[in-house]
Amino acid sequence: MLRTDINELLAQTGPRTPMGDLFRRYWQPVLLAEELPENDCPPVRVKVLSERLIAFRDSEGRYGLMDEFCAHRGVSLWFGRNEEGGLRCPYHGWKYDVTGQAVAVPSEPTTSNFCANVKLKSYPMVKRGDVLFAYLGDPAAQPPLPEWEAYTVPDGQVFTSKRLQECNWLQALEGGIDSSHVTFLHGGNLESDPLFKGSKGNEYNKGDLKPFFEVVDSEGGLLIGARRNAEEGKYYWRVTPWVLPNFTMVPPRGDHPVHGHFWVPIDDDNCWAYSFDYHPTRQLTEAEVAAMRAGKGVHSANDPSYRPLANKDNDYLMDRESQKRGENYSGIEGIALQDSSLQESMGPLVDRTKERLVATDAGIIKARQKLYKAVKALQDGVEPTGNRAKDQKVRSVAIVLPADQSFVEGIGEAMVAEPAKPHTSV
Amino acid sequence: MSDHDHDHATGPRSVPSGPSSCAEAATAKEAAYRIDYPLSAARNTRVVALDDEAERIIRSAALLEWGQARFFSITDPGEVLAEVDGSNVPLDEVMTDTNTVVMVASSGENATAVAAIGDLARERGIMTAGLVVTPGALTSDALFHLRPHARILLVPAEEDDLIELLRATRA
Repeated sequence: MLRTDINELLAQTGPRTPMGDLFRRYWQPVLLAEELPENDCPPVRVKVLSERLIAFRDSEGRYGLMDEFCAHRGVSLWFGRNEEGGLRCPYHGWKYDVTGQAVAVPSEPTTSNFCANVKLKSYPMVKRGDVLFAYLGDPAAQPPLPEWEAYTVPDGQVFTSKRLQECNWLQALEGGIDSSHVTFLHGGNLESDPLFKGSKGNEYNKGDLKPFFEVVDSEGGLLIGARRNAEEGKYYWRVTPWVLPNFTMVPPRGDHPVHGHFWVPIDDDNCWAYSFDYHPTRQLTEAEVAAMRAGKGVHSANDPSYRPLANKDNDYLMDRESQKRGENYSGIEGIALQDSSLQESMGPLVDRTKERLVATDAGIIKARQKLYKAVKALQDGVEPTGNRAKDQKVRSVAIVLPADQSFVEGIGEAMVAEPAKPHTSV
Repeated sequence: MSDHDHDHATGPRSVPSGPSSCAEAATAKEAAYRIDYPLSAARNTRVVALDDEAERIIRSAALLEWGQARFFSITDPGEVLAEVDGSNVPLDEVMTDTNTVVMVASSGENATAVAAIGDLARERGIMTAGLVVTPGALTSDALFHLRPHARILLVPAEEDDLIELLRATRA
C-alpha cells in the first residue's frame, strides 16, 4: 500500500509539483522525429508534463518547442504558418522563431522594437536517433544531452514507436519494473512473437516458472535480476535496469534487438510509452522493422494519432476464445496492449491504499522509495541521478552464471554500453 | 456460416457497451465507485535478524506500530528464536502461524539457521524475503547464504527498506 499523499506526489508531474520538478531535471522524449519530417512541415501539438506546447521545424531545420498559444490573443499556433524561419500566427501575423522570440508583429510600426519584448516560453529540443528529446527545466540545471545507447548507435540500428497509454505514468512504469508478471501475462508470446522466439533463454523461462528475484540498488536506479534454474549448478539471469525517473529496458533474447521504454507523462491521467528496439552491433533487418511496425514485440499497431487500434473503446479487441485456447493468457493480442489494457483498467490513477503488495513486489516498493527520496532530496538542493551519461550508458543483460556468483559481479562490464560492443544475451 | 461460427484467426470479439465496457469502467469517475470495505487481516509476517547489526535494525523497526508482524533474532543452529521482548520461541512455532518471513543479514553469520528457516518455509509454502544490509557492498557472504532461501532479495538494502517493505505489504 501507499499513502494517498505520497501516491499523488509521485503521480503528479505538472509545473510546480514536486515530481514535476524532478522530471524537469531530465531530457524526455516528446516526439518521434517522423512527426516533424522536413523543414517547414506542419507544426505539431505537444502536451508533456501537463504543459501545452507547439513543436515545429523551421526553414533551416532547427527544432522549436514553445508555448502553444500566441502571446497576442491566445490563438493556438497549431493553426500557424511554418514559413521563412518561423511560425506565424494566422490571426494577426505575429511570427516566432524556434526560441519563441517574436520576430514580426505586423500591426506595429516597422521601426518599432515592440516584438523584441515579446517572447514565448520555449524549451530546447534535440534529435537523437529517431526521437526528439526536450528539456523543460531550469536552464541553469540543464543536464548533458541524452546518452542512451539506443540513440547513439548508427542510423538503421534503432526503431522507436510511441503509443498513448490512458493512465498515469507511474502505473505504466511499475509494469516495466514488475518482472514477476511476465511468466503469466506474456508467457504465450515467447515462442510466437517474431522478435522474441527461438532463443535458448526462452527454454529457461519455460523450464522454471517460479523465478527468484534480486533487487540491486544502483547509482542511477535499480537493477532487477530474475533468476531461473539453468544447467546443473548454474542460474539463468535476466537483468532489467530502471533508471530514474522513467526508463526501463527489457533483457535481450538471443540475437534479437534489445528493447526498452520511456514512460513519459502527458498529464496526470495519460502518458506516452516510447518503446524502442535497437541492436548494438548490426542494422535492424527489414523483417524486424516490419514486425515492429506491425506492432510485434513491445510495439503496438496504432492509428495516425499513435493511439493503439486495440484500445478501451473496443475493449482492446478482447478475444475470449483465444484466451481459452491458451494463445493469449489475457485474451489481448500483443505484449504492449496486454500491459496497457490491465494498467488502464486500474483507472487513471489507481488508489494505492487499496493494493495488497507481496514480497515479490519489492522492486516496485524500492522504486517508489527511490523516487520519493529523489523528490525530497531535490527539494533540499541535491541534484538527482539518472541524467548523467554514466547512468544512461546501461544495458539489460541475459546471462547464465555459476550458482555461487553475484549477478552484478558476473555480468560486470556487460551492463556498460560501449560502441559496437556485442550485447550479452542468451 | 451460422451466427455461431467464428473464424479462429480472429475469434469472437466482445462488444463494448454500457457500464461493463472498458471505456466507461476505466474512468476516474467510475474508479470512485470501487467498493470500500476493510481489507483482510494483515500478513502474519515474521522478521528475523541473523546477526548483531541486523538485530539493531529490526529492534528499531519493532518500535513502530504493526499489524501482526513479530520480530526475532536467531543464531545457529536455529532451533530457537529470541523475540525482541526477550522470550524464546521454537522455530517450529514461529513458522506455524506465518505466511511471510523477512530475513535481515549484514554478515554471513548463522548460515545453518538461515537454511533451517528456508527449509521449513519451502515445506510449508511460506514466502521468504531477504535484506542484505551491507552498505556499498554488492556481494557478501550474507548474500550467498540468503540466496537459496529467499524468493526475493534486496541488495544492498538500506535500513529503511525493511520498514518500507513491511508497510507496503501491510505487515
